[in-house]
Amino acid sequence: MTDPQLNRRDFLTLTAATAAASAVPWAHADSAHVPLGKAEHCIFVWLGGGMAQIDTFDPKPLGDATSKPSRPGSYYKSIETAVPGVRVTEHLARTARVMDRVTAVRTVNHRVIDEHAFATNLVHTGRMISGNVVYPSIGSIIAHQRGAANPSVPAYMLIGYPNVSRGPGFLGAKSGFVYLTDTTSGPAGFTRPEDVPPDRAAARSRLLEPLQNRFPEGSSPADYRAAQADALRLAGPEFMRNFRLEEESSTLRQRYGGEFGQRCLLARRLVQSGARFIEVSHNLNFINGTGWDSHNTGQLHLHGLIQELDTALSALIEDLEHQRMLDKTLIVVATEFGRPAAFDSGGGRGHQGTSFSLVLAGGGLKHQGAYGATDDNCKLPVENPVSIPDFHATIHAALGINPRMELLDGSRPVPITDGGVPITKLFG
Amino acid sequence: MPLRTDCICRISEIHPALRLQSNGRNCDNHSLPQGSRDPFRRSSPKNSRLAVDPTRMTHPGFQLLLILTLAASSAIASEPARTVHVEICEQGLDDKDEWPKITPQPVESFTLPAVALDELPPKYVDDGIRGARPSPSLLRMTATVTVPEGKHRLLLRSRSAARLTLDDQLIVETPFPPKNGGDGSQPDSEHLEALDLGVGYRFAPGGEYERIADWQSHGTATPLKLELFVGGREGAKGRRVELGETVVAISLAGTTDWHLLTADGSMIPYTDAAWKRYKSHVSRMLTERSTAIRKELRARHDSYWNQRHDAAINWLKTTREEPIPAPIASLESSNPIDRFLAAKFVAVRSEYSKDRTDDLAIVDYFRDIKPLLESRCTECHSGPGAKAGLRLDSRSALHKGGDSGPAVVSGDAANSELIQRISSTDDETVMPPKGTRLTKDETALLSRWIQQGAVWPELPLVRSEFTAPCDDLTFLRRVMLDTVGMPPTADEARTFAADPSPDKHALWIDRLLDDPRWADHWMPLWQDLLAENPNILNPTLNNTGPFRWWLYESLLDDLPVDRMVTQLIQQRGDAAAGGPAGFGLASQNDSPFAAKGTILSAAFLGVEMKCARCHDSPTGSAKQEQLFQFGAMLAAASLVVPKTSSVDADKLHAGGRQALIQVTLKPGSKVEGDWPFPQFADVELAHDLEQPRDRLAALLTVPQNERFAQVVANRVWARFMGRGIVEPLDNWEKGTPTHPELLRWLGREFVRGGYQIKPLARLILNSAAYQRAVDVNLRTVDPLYAAPEPRRLLAEQVVDSLIAATGKPLRVEPLCLDLNGRRDTANSIHLGTPHRAWMLASLSNERDRPSLSLPRLQALTDVLEALGWRGARQDPTSTRDTAPNALQPAILANGVLTGWLTRLSSDHPLTQLAIDARTPESLVEDLFLRLLTRPPTSEERQRYTVYLTAGFQSRVMEPGTVQPTTTAHVVPKFVTWTNHLLPESNTAKQQVALEAQRGDPPSPRLGPAWRQRCEDVIWALINSPEMLYRP
Repeated sequence: MTDPQLNRRDFLTLTAATAAASAVPWAHADSAHVPLGKAEHCIFVWLGGGMAQIDTFDPKPLGDATSKPSRPGSYYKSIETAVPGVRVTEHLARTARVMDRVTAVRTVNHRVIDEHAFATNLVHTGRMISGNVVYPSIGSIIAHQRGAANPSVPAYMLIGYPNVSRGPGFLGAKSGFVYLTDTTSGPAGFTRPEDVPPDRAAARSRLLEPLQNRFPEGSSPADYRAAQADALRLAGPEFMRNFRLEEESSTLRQRYGGEFGQRCLLARRLVQSGARFIEVSHNLNFINGTGWDSHNTGQLHLHGLIQELDTALSALIEDLEHQRMLDKTLIVVATEFGRPAAFDSGGGRGHQGTSFSLVLAGGGLKHQGAYGATDDNCKLPVENPVSIPDFHATIHAALGINPRMELLDGSRPVPITDGGVPITKLFG
Repeated sequence: MPLRTDCICRISEIHPALRLQSNGRNCDNHSLPQGSRDPFRRSSPKNSRLAVDPTRMTHPGFQLLLILTLAASSAIASEPARTVHVEICEQGLDDKDEWPKITPQPVESFTLPAVALDELPPKYVDDGIRGARPSPSLLRMTATVTVPEGKHRLLLRSRSAARLTLDDQLIVETPFPPKNGGDGSQPDSEHLEALDLGVGYRFAPGGEYERIADWQSHGTATPLKLELFVGGREGAKGRRVELGETVVAISLAGTTDWHLLTADGSMIPYTDAAWKRYKSHVSRMLTERSTAIRKELRARHDSYWNQRHDAAINWLKTTREEPIPAPIASLESSNPIDRFLAAKFVAVRSEYSKDRTDDLAIVDYFRDIKPLLESRCTECHSGPGAKAGLRLDSRSALHKGGDSGPAVVSGDAANSELIQRISSTDDETVMPPKGTRLTKDETALLSRWIQQGAVWPELPLVRSEFTAPCDDLTFLRRVMLDTVGMPPTADEARTFAADPSPDKHALWIDRLLDDPRWADHWMPLWQDLLAENPNILNPTLNNTGPFRWWLYESLLDDLPVDRMVTQLIQQRGDAAAGGPAGFGLASQNDSPFAAKGTILSAAFLGVEMKCARCHDSPTGSAKQEQLFQFGAMLAAASLVVPKTSSVDADKLHAGGRQALIQVTLKPGSKVEGDWPFPQFADVELAHDLEQPRDRLAALLTVPQNERFAQVVANRVWARFMGRGIVEPLDNWEKGTPTHPELLRWLGREFVRGGYQIKPLARLILNSAAYQRAVDVNLRTVDPLYAAPEPRRLLAEQVVDSLIAATGKPLRVEPLCLDLNGRRDTANSIHLGTPHRAWMLASLSNERDRPSLSLPRLQALTDVLEALGWRGARQDPTSTRDTAPNALQPAILANGVLTGWLTRLSSDHPLTQLAIDARTPESLVEDLFLRLLTRPPTSEERQRYTVYLTAGFQSRVMEPGTVQPTTTAHVVPKFVTWTNHLLPESNTAKQQVALEAQRGDPPSPRLGPAWRQRCEDVIWALINSPEMLYRP
């Protein structure tokens, strides 16, 4: 039997209660050697399709896509950054200037390359598919462990399309996300239809009252009534004003750039309001057709996509810093795999999982500009390889979560990461 | 030309009842042996034999060729057929995109009213399951058409290569589509926009080639032939053998109208509305045909199954009957179920009357202790695999204790080992060994309980009296939600309430058990149980085939469960087409059949083996070897334990204390198939079956395996009564039956009823226990069934009920991202256009591209997922997450679906109801009956009537003052995989999303102010908590 008091506030506050209960590490979880950071929030930028590391954060000598045969290598020139010796592509010029607040982890690797969904699932859950356990996404785990910083907002928000990989898995619906597909539409479920202004909404609520009051306090349907009250509050002005980007100065909005930038700005506002984990998807594939999945002709305008990322990412870092929130907010730029140095027959690039770059910024970490080194074709790590569980462990640790702690799938203990070890060098 | 609404009806009159004919190639070489042996004699299992080798009657190479014809057509051969004859040809097509030189022979045929078809009937093989047609196949339509003299225009629409001849002259053709539909990077702009035939006429739904040609008719009867390729080579498996909208339409000389070309001269306009009627007529006809074919195919195996069921009945006779308890005076006893329940209820009640107290100082086992033990102790200390031999799951086991002696000394907490262990400060001995320690309060509670004598009654007495029978309308709503998955219509409610006959409950139960919607309602249970998990695009996340279609048709045809399970295990048919073969798929799984083994053992034996994928179950009896033996039988091949599903030794011993888990099969071990459950059925029973899958199926389903029958009966019971007699449903080692005699009796009744669910359902639904009024204060199911509790409906029931009760026609996209069928079947499937919630599936493609979104379907999945439905079922489940959270009421209050159902648009039946209403009060009555199946309370009536009175008299706009709504004539953009990388495809889908969000425009027949009020009332009823709970 569930405690009605807990049940009543399930969606928003039970997560915090659960976190408190399971914050004590299991007897054999050796927490002494796990460095823990003090970040409070995470903005997880998702570059669906597979960002080409060689054309972004792990540049190599120039190749040639058009010669016959084509010559492997970067498509763009590279530039110096704020961190001596660390170079990035010329289209990341703004990010280059704040690279001292960034670490491009260049040696992330896995063995999955053939299909986006499979690799996306791996990078979101940190696990392979088993058929016996549905693993939660990293957003759900963090929401589950830490709850929202403010009990009146959801812990986990998604700006992008709902999908399996972003789901709560065995943690259940209460650890799921609230989503919006773009910054103009508002979050699904909490945005009232255009023809329902506040006075009409109030009239509707009054009509609903007698139907709600049929059930005595303490009954199961009364729990639902309490959830209705929560929903009503979330659809109200306090939470919904976070979505009014027009409250920001037009200078700032312009600094963030187009729709992707506006999503990042919204993420910052949600962080300020107390959301714990916000996934921001960047793949509108209007700019180059394919988005980050730059096969064939997708390569031709890839720089447009990179520049959009550069604008938004650098603005987000600087804005958070200006708001004195950068140390409390870990920014992650993630993608399902990288791309090889060689070009395909259409002048683009295929998929590569053996080594690719994922990026961390802010969050109070001791940033290096770059971590790990790859070979001349950035095909394999030559120094400091980082597995997906290690990368996840780094994110969890930065947010003060012991990555070895065990969650329960029913009665079965499942460690938060599959043996992941945080990148020690990033912790002070 | 005015729209002829009568033509479809007339056509259906031309068509007499369909008759099934076989072409004579019967399976005489596979005829079933007739035997009079009783294979299930209990006395001598060693001599028992399954009468028939099931493989002999379902030989994989054996394909029935069925020809379906009109009864009348052969009789009147002299007259030209007044219908279009359709033939499907599967052989004789060579390996190129070329028309065959020799006319291929048909394997199936049927007739149509017009040269227009957009669905190919499924192919059925074996025991009536879905099989694959070769890709490509060829479709041929022939007819004799008589068209007035003149030079007319003809339109040909076809997804693939097609050619139309009239009088043997080629009139118009469409090309073979290009290869490589794979990556979507070479957009095929031909299909982005449909041909515009003028205002009012139908745009091609998308993906069809469209060609127009002139044709000179001489006004005489002219032979027509349309041939087309269906599917085609692509990738490993070929394109789906699926039609687009295949149509020959005609525009007569001097006109601009388009009509479907018919053989009887009738005029069927090619408009959206007329097409919808035509399509639904053809669809109904083809469905009837498919049902007949399945029936025919299944009948060929009936003698084998009848024999097995006869043997099962004989087996029942040789075994002990479960006596039905004597009736208890004053308690309802006409139904055996009620007598079992009453006996237990009276026994427990008398036990309670001795020592029951409401004094909170007295620790109550069920209130205080059981939840604590279950959350902290019984995971390890229950069932046969209990740690240290200590079980804390029954009264007797507690006192007996474990390896170190009794756990509890009644009345002496300090000397009870249980208390010593939970309060120990020694890491080596403290319990629980992992995780947080028990709190001081928890320890104190347990101590007090032991001090007070560790009183542990058999079952909790939640209520000391049964509730009264529920009222008529409550019963009707409940039983309809429980059988057909949606509430009654207002008419059904009125009829039932007014019916004075005393046996109306039983009559309605019979009627509902015969309702085809029964199959829809049972789908979610089976999909959850068997982890049906198709993905419409690039299946890589432990995806199965869409065996939903096999499940649905099995339920529709009332296939007995033993027969269903046999088909499931044999995994025949075609995986992509929806056959049970799809169960065997598990994309990217490192040991698919071990995973499937865990599904089957939990589903049908109540044995949880998930743990055994990587190590022996720490607390249950399941060993790794058992699972891999079981899986190997299912795979019909030996299995190798994968390296990726194991636990490293260093991880096992990371803690220091003895590891809780044991790895008994090293990675790389090879395991042969073997029946690992001799406790349920003697392996000798299947001695004469050669194929491992047949052996497995038989051993699971023979009557001697009483566990199987009881597990299934327990699931049926739980479905109606809210909990199993054993819980958890899928892990019987962790539970004790509350009513063991009833369980055994139900298992035997299930066997007696021929392994069919409906007889069992009939028994339960007719019981007084089922029909009692709800006790609204109950938060969990009363295990003595004195009253039902308010029970959260399944997500599917909620969504189906909302749509059915409002009546708003549902307009959603087809569940497919490869609408023109260019991709390999292995990478793209089409799940049809959903009209019940179970038909949905995950929409995610992990690509975040607007062009790959399905916004209208998303409106449904948003609601379903908030309410606990899983679009992706990577693992099976027997229970749904029903806890309330804020997203549920939010999505019901503000979501897109509610917007559609609330808005009083022109096609919304509630618009007409509002227009026809005599008074605000009668409208309120009607709306309550329709949505909530009850009259409003006086307070509700008052509040809603007042709200609807303002403006009621002037609500209806006079026809003269109403501007007719004109839909803008805009050619829709067609977005699918082959063009999804075009920027305009993204824009087009964003527009679709916007339109979905806005919903249909309101009807101009109602004045806006009052219409909004009426919508507000509908909104409130939709958002009533009653919509989510079973009454």
